[in-house]
Amino acid sequence: MLVLGIESSAHTFGVGIVDRGKVLSNEKMMFNITDKGLIPGKVAQTHIKNAPMTVKRALESAKIKITDIEGVGYTRGPGLGPCLQVGELTAKMIAKRLGVKIAQVNHGAAHVEIARDAAKMRDPLALYVSGGNSQILKAVEKPFKHYEIIGETFDIGVGNMIDNFARGAKLNPAWGSTVAKMAQNGKYVRLPYTVKGMDFAFTGLLTSAIKMLGKESKEDVCYSIQETAFSMLCEATERALLLTRSKELCVCGGVAQSARLREMLAMVAKENGARFGFAANEFNADNGGMIAFLAERMLKSGMDSKIEQCGVEQRYRIDRARIA
Amino acid sequence: MRLINSGAEAKIYSGMLFGTEIIVKERRAKPYRIAQLDSELREARTKSEARVLYEVGVAGVNAPRLLGVGKFSIYATRIKGKLLIDDGVGRIDFGKIGMQLALMHNANVAHGDFTPANIMKSGKEYFIIDFGLSEITSSVEEKAIDLLLLKRSIGPGQYARFAKGYARISKDPKPVIARLEEIEKRGRYQVRTLA
Repeated sequence: MLVLGIESSAHTFGVGIVDRGKVLSNEKMMFNITDKGLIPGKVAQTHIKNAPMTVKRALESAKIKITDIEGVGYTRGPGLGPCLQVGELTAKMIAKRLGVKIAQVNHGAAHVEIARDAAKMRDPLALYVSGGNSQILKAVEKPFKHYEIIGETFDIGVGNMIDNFARGAKLNPAWGSTVAKMAQNGKYVRLPYTVKGMDFAFTGLLTSAIKMLGKESKEDVCYSIQETAFSMLCEATERALLLTRSKELCVCGGVAQSARLREMLAMVAKENGARFGFAANEFNADNGGMIAFLAERMLKSGMDSKIEQCGVEQRYRIDRARIA
Repeated sequence: MRLINSGAEAKIYSGMLFGTEIIVKERRAKPYRIAQLDSELREARTKSEARVLYEVGVAGVNAPRLLGVGKFSIYATRIKGKLLIDDGVGRIDFGKIGMQLALMHNANVAHGDFTPANIMKSGKEYFIIDFGLSEITSSVEEKAIDLLLLKRSIGPGQYARFAKGYARISKDPKPVIARLEEIEKRGRYQVRTLA
């Protein structure tokens, strides 16, 4: 089934095309992040401008015509309202024009599912780490198939925490990979470490790290904030692995692109006799391919929505999202 | 010394000391953490756990009694029984568990990982074990998190009995219960309407 998926929850407008679980194309256009972070209304305007071109590119690189499309999926949430609405509108327009079915996809569930598929896993424990989210997830079948949250952040997502710190440290561009680069020459200084069972919190770490910027070198604080935050995630994940007795561990979401985090999680998995895996980076960053991937399966299991019922939900929790 | 448990954080060995069965809890090095952070954490947690064990002993909470402490290891009496998550544990009196937690909170100790995997039934009594993430604190938030962790892992009826026992012994249960409700609403992207 040829399915077109649209992602627009944050600064990326992505369009992907999937056929029988295989991603044929995965195109994206991004709002250019400055040092100010995201202003939802402005990002949405950029998405509106980029939408037609992104769809066109995705069709071209999949070498198909728009009339070949048999189903459409889009991100219902979670994400920024105005941005989500652009994706919703685009998807509705295409579905209505072509007279095909439409599926409302949960952004996080799509991240996990594409990673699970790429790692060739059946039922993994998943660490989903992105800007707004940091959750430890496991699929359960009842009352319907969905991801249950085993552990999560009590305050902010690890990605936002690191981006926020990067802005505080006046790094350019102000995001995780710049922090990782600076960290290469750093040494360890002590920062707060907050894990409660399988949950964790990041604001204390963020505040202390920013305060420490005047006292310690930037390299040292970058190194330490990254090591501390990732160690916290690993500890909670390890506890969840033991609790669920899972023999598969995957990581997904924007922060899953971090080589250091992957290295650490691989050690956690190895220590506990579990296999470790993740998807290619294009699927860890926000993208339309993963939305198309999950949408195809949802449509095949009869989970299409009426166009009038489609909407967006800024706080669409993953544990309420049926995935099959 | 015999290895009896290998958990996420520590290995637990058992042995005899002056005719009493004891356990030794040794915190293992974690290869994924850089050495400095790892040994700082392990040393601080060992020290804090020993202090907590001493405090809960004084407060009369059912828990292992502290016997001694090393850099990364703790020596304590061994509790013989079944964990709540074990097969064949039998009927569980959640009210009694609530009372034990309240006794501990009255002594200003928050457990930090209060799940059925850390509660042991021995005869008719319930023992709290593994104080690895515990803290000496008067914080209402930390106490509420103890209740939350257990609430998430047991049924609603069981929790109701637990909460009843807790409220009976706790010196000040109201703020803790109120904070628990607040934390439950705080989860990321949680729907905050009453629907």
